[in-house]
Amino acid sequence: MATQQDAGGVPVAIAHDLRQLRLLELPSGVLELLEAPNPPPLSIKSLPPAPAASLNATPAYAVLCTPTKSFQLRQVQTSNSLYVTQPTLEAHGNTIPAPTTRAIAACAATLELHPADGDGVSYLEAVLPVYDLVDGEVDAEENRKTKPAIFSDIPLSDGECETAWNSLAAFEAAGSTYRPTAKTLAQVWASVNAASLAEGVKLDTQFLTEDLAKLVAEEGYPAPLAASLLQHLSSTSHDRSGEWACLDQEKTLSFVGKTLLEAKRGNGDYLTADFMDTWRDSLPEAWRKGAELKAIDGAYELPSSTTIRAKSKAGTAKAEIVVPKTAARKWHDKFAKTRKK
Amino acid sequence: MPSVPLHIAPSTTTNTSAATSTNALPPLLHTPTGLALLEIQGTINFPISTLASETSTLVGKLVFPLYNPAINGEDDTKWMKRVYFYVGRNQRMTGEVKKLGMPFAVVGRKGWRGDEGRGGGVDVEMGGVEGGDREEGRGDEDELEIVEVVRYKVVFSARPEPVGGGEDGQGD
Repeated sequence: MATQQDAGGVPVAIAHDLRQLRLLELPSGVLELLEAPNPPPLSIKSLPPAPAASLNATPAYAVLCTPTKSFQLRQVQTSNSLYVTQPTLEAHGNTIPAPTTRAIAACAATLELHPADGDGVSYLEAVLPVYDLVDGEVDAEENRKTKPAIFSDIPLSDGECETAWNSLAAFEAAGSTYRPTAKTLAQVWASVNAASLAEGVKLDTQFLTEDLAKLVAEEGYPAPLAASLLQHLSSTSHDRSGEWACLDQEKTLSFVGKTLLEAKRGNGDYLTADFMDTWRDSLPEAWRKGAELKAIDGAYELPSSTTIRAKSKAGTAKAEIVVPKTAARKWHDKFAKTRKK
Repeated sequence: MPSVPLHIAPSTTTNTSAATSTNALPPLLHTPTGLALLEIQGTINFPISTLASETSTLVGKLVFPLYNPAINGEDDTKWMKRVYFYVGRNQRMTGEVKKLGMPFAVVGRKGWRGDEGRGGGVDVEMGGVEGGDREEGRGDEDELEIVEVVRYKVVFSARPEPVGGGEDGQGD
């Protein structure tokens, strides 16, 4: 290697036609991914500007997604000239071509990555239409969007989207995607439970999701919804590819309890004794003794000694409202206040 | 399409010999594709050559005065503390080589490199290649690529100082 500094240094040239290159700061987690022998696919996602504005007040921004994590991209301006240089062999004037460092791009801004801890569930709740069953009639608006189309509009990695999708028991049917209401879920669960009893399927052992989903579909519920529900209740250690399911007893217990309570939300108070009876009746016989209030700790309130209701969502709702307010740039308001003083 | 794939260029892991043979910077600053970062507090003003054949303007040179692996060994890092950048005939900036707290990924549109920049060919020919390259870049505009991961940068944060005439032999 011929280093040139003894002979008077390395010539530096600036290309006339500067290229568009961006500098992206790499936090350690991302760097390790890039250095792995088989780097995972990365992508940059952004919220589509128009719908984002109508749904919530957050400005459109871009995120870098690894398979399971997402990072918000923030542009940081610098007043310094930051050049990206490339070694070339260049001749200037009549000199012999010499190894030269050529600036090929100037970067006025760099991009920082910040872990995005966006809540996938609230994003999905905002975009997915509600699927409700009222007296056996479907009450849902078709959105004509497939699951991948929905995911591509959410500024989170596919892994995070999938987790949120699963926790909502969202499903895709006939080209549209929905999230079921608690009422619907309670009905589908009742149907699943009945079907498993009739067919002698033990829910906490491995069974074919499709078998049960088919039986549930015969009762008029969409099969994908039943499958989605079964995946939601499956134990996490279990392979989630979808073909097989194996329900997690504890998860199912508390899910059924919470869903039943949630389904009664707004219908006045619910006698605790009635609730406990319904809850136990909705479970496979072997699981019934597990139906204790502590299994749904934090999800219920006892307005009186004999009644129960789902915990009000006031706390979470408030938090949601506060965020856009602080994000809004109401400078004129701020200045107006100081002016009056 | 709100999602844009971000590819990782295969060359970030394999060293391309073409980049090494023309790279005159100390090996510490070498990256597989040869890309390096040069930061200057301020701007370099230079007249753009009116000659169509010139694709770049020579603005100065980098000198690493303390870099001497023959005496200090390859592992010596003290040389990083001092780098001179002579700009034009009469100005010198003093800077240093800094390890980046967080390495930078150099991101460009996929296919931006094309065949350009591999040794200085005939200038006119290079212009032609660049033109083709740009059209190609328009085709897959939506695809981005991490071209390189850079861990060090050469920073010049001090004011330029005036130096007299000669550019040679200042380093020692």
